[in-house]
Amino acid sequence: MALHQADRRKVDRDEVFLEYTKSICPVCKRVLDAEVNVRDNRVILRKRCPQHGPFEALIYSDAELYMAQQRYNKPGTLPLEFQSEVSDGCPLDCGMCPEHKQHACLAIVEVNSGCNLDCPICFADSGHQPDGFSLSFEQVEFMLDRFVAAEGEPEVVQFSGGEPTIHPQILEFIALAQAKGIRMVMLNTNGIRIARDRRFARELAALKPHLYLQFDGFELETHLRIRGKDLRADKQRALDACAENGLTVTLVAAIEKGVNEQEVGAIVRFALAHEAVRAVAFQPVTHSGRHVEFDPLERLTNADVMKLVAAQVPEWYRLDDFVPVPCCFPSCRSMSYAFVDGDGVVPFTRLLEIDDYLDYLSNRVLPDPEVRQALERMFSSSATPGAERALLACESCGIDLPGRLDELEDKVFMIVVQDFQDAYTLNVRQLMKCCVVELVPDGRLIPFCAYNSVGYREQVRAELSGVEVAPVVPNALPLQPLLQPTPYGSKTANGTGIVAPVNASNVGRGLE
Amino acid sequence: MTIAPEEIKSCCAAAYSSEAARFLLGDSFHPGGAALTSHLIAALEVGTGATVVDVASGPGTSALQLTRETGADVIGVDLSPTSVAAGARAARDAGLSERVRFLQGDAEALPLPDASVDGALCECALCTFPNKEAAVRELARVLRPGARLALADVTADVTRLPPELTGLQAWIACIADARSLAELASLLGGAGLIVEQAERHDEALERLLERIDGRLRVARLLGASFVDGALARGRDLVAAAQAALARGDLGYGVVVARRP
Repeated sequence: MALHQADRRKVDRDEVFLEYTKSICPVCKRVLDAEVNVRDNRVILRKRCPQHGPFEALIYSDAELYMAQQRYNKPGTLPLEFQSEVSDGCPLDCGMCPEHKQHACLAIVEVNSGCNLDCPICFADSGHQPDGFSLSFEQVEFMLDRFVAAEGEPEVVQFSGGEPTIHPQILEFIALAQAKGIRMVMLNTNGIRIARDRRFARELAALKPHLYLQFDGFELETHLRIRGKDLRADKQRALDACAENGLTVTLVAAIEKGVNEQEVGAIVRFALAHEAVRAVAFQPVTHSGRHVEFDPLERLTNADVMKLVAAQVPEWYRLDDFVPVPCCFPSCRSMSYAFVDGDGVVPFTRLLEIDDYLDYLSNRVLPDPEVRQALERMFSSSATPGAERALLACESCGIDLPGRLDELEDKVFMIVVQDFQDAYTLNVRQLMKCCVVELVPDGRLIPFCAYNSVGYREQVRAELSGVEVAPVVPNALPLQPLLQPTPYGSKTANGTGIVAPVNASNVGRGLE
Repeated sequence: MTIAPEEIKSCCAAAYSSEAARFLLGDSFHPGGAALTSHLIAALEVGTGATVVDVASGPGTSALQLTRETGADVIGVDLSPTSVAAGARAARDAGLSERVRFLQGDAEALPLPDASVDGALCECALCTFPNKEAAVRELARVLRPGARLALADVTADVTRLPPELTGLQAWIACIADARSLAELASLLGGAGLIVEQAERHDEALERLLERIDGRLRVARLLGASFVDGALARGRDLVAAAQAALARGDLGYGVVVARRP
């Protein structure tokens, strides 16, 4: 017996336990306790539903980077008012409730659910559909007023959809938001109407919203797999129409594993060369709404996208040219600013020690609080092209530029990398500091990642369209036997696959 | 070497107090920035009540950092009256005039009594002093027994440097008369100090060179007048330094030594 015990060796777990948090079941959406662990330098969220069993999802593919980014965690700012009360706890009280840790840097208004495309990948589950909604002027005005009431002087509103350019009153909405004093009004579009309707492009030019143009790459296959159509000529025409009409553009690329990872570098080079384009926003595909089948443990994260940029544009960018954004959770968004000259780009990270200013945990005395404030405006979810002026205009700016700032207009280029959460990856810890919100017609401001994963989107659509909307379940590989299609192309639970109930949660109970 | 020592000294001091230097190098004039300065400060092991001298204190950035991190009083010494005035202004703006003073003076003849300080800091400056033995002797002279000197400097195998890195511009860039890390250590030992640490920090210089090149490019982009003629030469100098760094003939080092 003694000999036998000596033979039994204790072994270590194959992972490092990092965080204890909450998430939801991707199938039934109930709130669950969750763990974040590091395994093979990958950050993995794990949770167990008493009905549907255990789930694991990759939330960051580089644990070292994830840990290093924690220093960039800025204390949140209180909004002027909250729209909901704390009653059931996060993420069921949205929003925003008084427990939320950050105000809204950026708000999205989805003006309709209809679209002139039926993309295989669409987190909003939009398209040519028999039912849906289209907001009235009064509804949009009420939503914007609530945003102004919460923020005072809001930074950014994005009009989205559906496809917002097919809403008959979209120009009025843009003018209205501008009249309400919102600093930057953006239009999120697939560009088809701008490409094909010259009068519309000219009318937009009079209002000058910044365009957030869906742009996933140059290969036919990419277009077919993400958009279901070859839109290459439309994209080029839309961009040329923008240049012609003095409209500035951010290219927004949804990046999916095995689809367009290889196009990241080409998108950056194209963006730098096109006179209308000021920025690129890369978003690993959000597995909410409609999307292609994916493996939650092999999904793309911000770290992968930044490494793709560094690998495909090595002469200009390195991984450390991307700075984690401190207003939200630093692993949610990273950004890079660069000057563009004849020889290529000079990232701002090569010009000053940004770490010296945006490390919120270090005890070191801040070299200059004014520079920190300017950098916080640049590295923020509300930052739009031109945000670098906050730094460059700064009296004692870390760069102290000679020459005139107004000559810089088109000489600064921005890359944003943003990972949105879905029902698989949702980490309540990150969600509680989310600073991107959906404005909804009942006046709430719902954090974007809660809106897309917890069930709020389905509730709002049902209310606005008067048609019941099935709860969307991620189209994940391990869930396939449990799924059936919805009328909009997304997936929902088919009611099978319920495992023996085990309730592992003790929240609300004590020793018996 | 055909450049007169006095010319080098005044030229270096003037160069580092110029607008162009501030633009190209930022607030922190030396490789490694505030983080490496923190490393040096910690090695001094000083606290409230101590007095530290910062030799070649420039605009006073490290002197202020030293007093904030340790509570020690600081005397900054610099050859350039412009830098001395800038340092005093920075101390006043930070509300630290009581703790941090600046004196105009020559590192080879420090305006301080024997055994009068509890620590000495000298960042990226020894390489620009024509008479290094004299400067090190002076540092040793003003230290109290048991007090430490924390020195950071460009390191180089000068015999292997290309000609463009041995002219006046290269002097200003701390390169032409730099020493190897071993030579720096023996220089301090020769002045009677006991060397406790000698470390390489080549990556700090690599980052600084990259920053200077980036800023030269931004200056060109903006058509900045002060860099007109110097721009191309500046970028050539940076490229030559980057090549030497890659070969291992150029680097950056930290030496900590104690007066017995």
